[in-house]
This record gives sequence, structure tokens and C-alpha cells, in this order.
Amino acid sequence: MTAYCLHMEQLPPLMAWWRKEYDVYVPVAAEGGHYDFAPWREGTEIAFDYDLAYNTLKRYFLPPSEDLLTFDLASYEAQAVFEDPKQILFGVHPYDVRAVNQLDQLMEAGAPDRNYMARREATVVMAMEPQRVADTAFWSTIGADVVSHGYDLHFTRISPANFMVEVGSVKGEELLLARGPLPAATAGDREAARKAHQKVMDLSRSNRLNFDWRHTPKLMEKGWNAGVWREKAELCLACGSCNVVCPTCYCFNVSEEADETLKTGRRFREWDGCMLVNFATVAGGHNFRTKALERYRHRYMRKGKYISDKIGELGCVGCGRCVRACTARIANPREVFNALWEDQANAD
Amino acid sequence: MLTKPKSFSPYVPKPATLVGKSKLSDFVTLFTFAFDDGRILAHRPGQFIMLSIFGVGEAPFSVSSPPTKQSGNFELAVRRTGTLTEALHRLEVGAKVGVRGPYGSFFPIQKFVGQDTLFIAGGLGYIPLRSLLHYQLRHRDEFGRIVVLIGTRNPKERIFVDQLAEISARGDVEVLETVDQPDPAWTGNVGVITTLLPKVEMDPSQTYVAMVGPPIMYRFVISECRDMGIRGERIYVSLERKMKCGLGKCGHCQINGLSTCVDGPVFAYTDIETLEEAI
Ligand SMILES: Cc1cc2nc3c(=O)[nH]c(=O)nc-3n(C[C@H](O)[C@H](O)[C@H](O)COP(=O)(O)OP(=O)(O)OC[C@H]3O[C@@H](n4cnc5c(N)ncnc54)[C@H](O)[C@@H]3O)c2cc1C
Ligand code: SF4
Ligand code: SF4
Ligand code: FES
Repeated sequence: MTAYCLHMEQLPPLMAWWRKEYDVYVPVAAEGGHYDFAPWREGTEIAFDYDLAYNTLKRYFLPPSEDLLTFDLASYEAQAVFEDPKQILFGVHPYDVRAVNQLDQLMEAGAPDRNYMARREATVVMAMEPQRVADTAFWSTIGADVVSHGYDLHFTRISPANFMVEVGSVKGEELLLARGPLPAATAGDREAARKAHQKVMDLSRSNRLNFDWRHTPKLMEKGWNAGVWREKAELCLACGSCNVVCPTCYCFNVSEEADETLKTGRRFREWDGCMLVNFATVAGGHNFRTKALERYRHRYMRKGKYISDKIGELGCVGCGRCVRACTARIANPREVFNALWEDQANAD
Repeated sequence: MLTKPKSFSPYVPKPATLVGKSKLSDFVTLFTFAFDDGRILAHRPGQFIMLSIFGVGEAPFSVSSPPTKQSGNFELAVRRTGTLTEALHRLEVGAKVGVRGPYGSFFPIQKFVGQDTLFIAGGLGYIPLRSLLHYQLRHRDEFGRIVVLIGTRNPKERIFVDQLAEISARGDVEVLETVDQPDPAWTGNVGVITTLLPKVEMDPSQTYVAMVGPPIMYRFVISECRDMGIRGERIYVSLERKMKCGLGKCGHCQINGLSTCVDGPVFAYTDIETLEEAI
């Protein structure tokens, strides 16, 4: 893979250049000791060593609210609305790239969701090797520490002032070399990048699955009646926070409004969550998942089995956002998966 | 990935006009629509469409009329139950709506050819089954025995009463009805739909079952069909779930790992029998 070496000081001029054409988002330190992605401006301090961005990046592809169409009440003609701002996401950790890759597959399958795809097409993803690991994260034990595709560039900090930048696409390379040529990465640079990766993997030892993640779908299948569902779900507040922060949750609701003159209007979609009480309630009030247990289990079944049945990898990337977001302290997929493993290991 | 966002969006409905409206019961009305551009819906029995009333919303409805190649008209029978269905009932002939679809799986008519069909409709379940039944009636000699079982809560809620009387009078279709709560004028069978099953004798090896009803109906009726000797792969059911996109994206209609909107609504029983959330 083509790779270049980039000096820290070369980055701001490049960002300024990119910003002429793109909205550029970078990780920054936000309030309360959290990190988040924010628009880059001249002088913005990039948090190269952020551990976890509080909000997920799905909002750049599937915004919390997005228009699907506008309509005319007289002619009943509807127009598709596509919003596809040109944007660069800089510094995306591999597990988050993996989450985007999953959304790509799921939104494209069958009848492609063109609203999502239009945004995705217009977005450049610049990945970055993490330097620190959130205490709630477990991506390193489920194979989400590396991604093979889905990024245009991949940055690894190989010394305090230098990055090795791997090229993932032609567009990425163009953007990287936009202000002039860069030295090709040497064997030493590649070795330094490998070490950086090893270092962060060493850091992430503490939060582990107690088994090979590939067993998860089988565990889920056998664990339909496991005690862990009742035990955890008893405390669930049905707040949906775990859905909101999850980079691989993408369910939505569709609503609409007419304007004041009742001549035109718009139909839009908004994030929805399967943990919310009425997610599966139909007209007449019948709810197909009345119990917290059923909703809680469904969410983990999606992560651990249903999605993996479709695309062959876990529908959880182990970012640990839900663990942080849940005030009831029950939304930890690692604990759930481990509990199922213990259960079934004891049963055998 | 597409190289360019296209102007096409699967979320955009096509304009259609309400060309007919007739009351079937206090709560259910039959609506006939035609696409404004003259196109034909080209659905198959069991499929549904997403119907829009702009400014109010969009919801799924089974197409109740059989497929047709000649005219673009299609029928929905809709129960007044909430915001969108109330608004629909208020529309006058000539009013416009938006339609997306048809969507979803359908009853495998080809398999039914030369075989007997047992229709089992609980309440409004007759609405989607009517599409299949009328298709079979139109091609009557291609199918064996046709037996229709209908269970309704009370006589007042029965729908398509006159049409069913006509069908029953043909002599080549057996129609059996029951109500849960009879009124003084009711002379027919009383009891839940399973009370009709002992009254029909079908050859299980050449019978297909097409079943639609409320969630509680399936478990009992399916087990009785199995007792009659009908194998799971000969039993087709249509399941209802909340639907928002119809495209397998929004997540609302999931039954375990399946999306009812694209993997269903019509399922062979063998495809869902191990799914805990199905019935
Ligand atoms: C495949 C399929 C076929 C259907 N066919 C028919 C039919 O032929 N005739 C008929 O009368 N009804 C049918 N229904 C049910 C019909 O979709 C609901 O009655 C309708 O959505 C109610 O909308 P409302 O706005 O009037 O009710 P409200 O209670 O105001 O709706 C509340 C919200 O929940 C959603 N919702 C509520 N109930 C359902 C439901 N059962 N399915 C999907 N979304 C729901 C609506 O989209 C709406 O956003 C079908 C449902 C499905 C899934
Ligand atoms: S389930 Fe939790 S840990 Fe897994 S991807 Fe979603 S937010 Fe991250
Ligand atoms: S964040 Fe926690 S309490 Fe809230 S819905 Fe999720 S699991 Fe339940
Ligand atoms: S209706 Fe949205 S996934 Fe089925």
C-alpha cells in the first residue's frame, strides 16, 4: 500500500486548503473531559490522542433528522431531497470506520437508501490509529482494531512530530498531495507504525471478551432464555441512550409536516431506537415487544447475531459508547457476551 | 457505491387518485385507486403498498384486489383506527394520495396450481387473502378445491358480505363463517375460527393453507392444521408489524433477524417456525 510521511506542521496548511472545498471535522477536547468531532478552523487544536468521540460519526451520514422529500399538496408530486455536503472526517478510529463500513453495506443492500449513499459519496474518511483507549472500549478483542477499507487515508503517529499516512483511495492521495509532494514512507516508518499499533493493543488488554468473538452468533442463538436478559433489563429505563450513541444503530422513524399554507410540506426521518417502549407498537395498541427484556434482548441479538448473519462481522464494534451513556449501567455488550459465554460454558 | 447521487429515491411516492369508495362495515371502507400516470400496480397476492396522505403520513396496506393486466385500478380495504386511516376515510372520490410499492413477498400461486387451497381469515385477514382468492376464481380451473374459513368478532363487523354470498352461491367454493359474539339474527356458526376446522375435510397431502389474522390466531390455528396432517411448508401466513420504510432499513418491522417488509409479510411456516418473535 502506498504510504507517505507527513510532518505535523504540514497538516494545518493542508486542512486550510481542504476547507476551501470541504467541511472538515476533527476530534477536539469538549466539555466535561469528553472528546467530540467539531469543524476545523484556523487554530483549532486537534485532539490527536483522543480516546473516544462522545458522539458517533453516523450523524454525518445519517443525521438525527433529515428530509427525505418535499411534497405539493395540490399536484401530489413529491421531490426527493438529497443533502450531500462535501465533508472530510479527519482522525476517525478504525472501529468507527468499521461501523461506517457496516452502515454502507446495510444501507446499500436490497433497495439502496440513496439519501445515505449520497452523503457517504460526498464524504472523505481520514482514519487515524488511536493512541489511547477508552476504559469502556473493547474493540481490540473483537477484531475491530484494524480496517482494510472504507477510508481514503489512514494516519498513524509514528513520532511526536510525524505521521505515516497510508493511501486508501485515489481521492485520498490527491487530497494528501494537494499542496506538493511528500516523501514516501520508509521501511522504518512502516515499522514505527506497526509498533504504534502494537502499543495501543497492549493498552487495551484490560477489557476483553473471555472467548473468541467469532463464537458470539452461536452464543446468542443458544442464549435466548439466558438469565442475563432479565437480570440487566430489570434496570432498564427505556431511555434509548444506548441506541443514540451507538455507531451501528441506524433505525429511524418517518414523520412529516405541511407548511402553514397547506400547499407544500416535507417528509423527514429521525433517529429512533428499539429500546424505546413503543418502537414495535402498531395501530390499536398491540406492542410486539412490550417487555424491557424483549427490547433489551433484541438490541443485543441485532449486534451479536442478526447483523453478523447478514455481513459476517459483529454488529457491535466495541467502542464502549453505550457503556458510558447508560445511567443504569447495564448497556455493556462485553458483559452481556461474557455472561452468555459463562452460562453456556457451565451448561456444557 | 453509486458514483453520483441519482435523483431517484425509493422514498418518493407516485400520485394516485381515489376513484371509488364504498363502505364495508362501520369501520372498514373499500377504496379504489388509479395511478395518475396510468401505470399498473403489478402486485402479486399478499403484497402491500405504502400509502401517503401528504401532511398526515404514510402507512402499509395490503392490496385486496387481484392482480390485473388490463386496468390500473387497485383496491385497499382499510379499517379506521388512527390518524392516517381517519384521514383516508374522510377523502372524497377524486382526491389524491401517494403510493409506493408494491412491496414484500407474496403467496406462491404457482405452487397452489392443481392443489386445494384452505383460506383461513381472522377478522381483517380476509382483506389480503381476497387478492389471492379472486385471482384463483378468475383462473378457477387451474385450482382444486377452494375452502374459505372466515372468523369475525360479531356479525356487524363482517365485510364483503354480498360478495361472499355470491362466491358461496357459485357452488365451486366452500365458504364457512363464524362469529365470536352472535346477535339475535345470526344463524351461523358461533365460536373462534378453530371451531370451523373440524367441519372441513381436506386432503393434507394436496392442500395449501393461506392464513391471515390477528397475532393470537396463528399459534392455535397452525397447530390444528398440523394435526390435520398439513405439513409446515404447505402453510403460508402473512404477518403484520409496524412499518415505516418498507425497504428493510428502518428496523421497525423486524421479527428476530428478518424484516417483515422485505422477507415477508408472507412467510412459509417452515421459515419462521423457529423464530421466537414470529407468532
Ligand atoms: C403489511 C401490512 C398490511 C396491512 N394491510 C392493511 C389493510 O389491508 N387494511 C388495514 O386496514 N390495515 C392494514 N394494515 C395496518 C395498517 O397499516 C394500520 O392500521 C395503519 O398503519 C394505521 O395507521 P394510522 O395512522 O391510522 O394509525 P395510528 O395509530 O395513528 O398510527 C400510529 C403510527 O404507527 C404506525 N402503525 C400503526 N399501526 C401499524 C401497523 N399495524 N402496521 C404498520 N404501521 C403501523 C403508523 O405508521 C403510524 O406512524 C397493514 C399493516 C401491514 C404491516
Ligand atoms: S453496542 Fe455499544 S459498544 Fe457496541 S458499537 Fe454500539 S455503542 Fe459501541
Ligand atoms: S441506555 Fe441503558 S437504560 Fe437506557 S435504554 Fe439503553 S440499556 Fe436501557
Ligand atoms: S418497514 Fe422499515 S425495515 Fe421494514
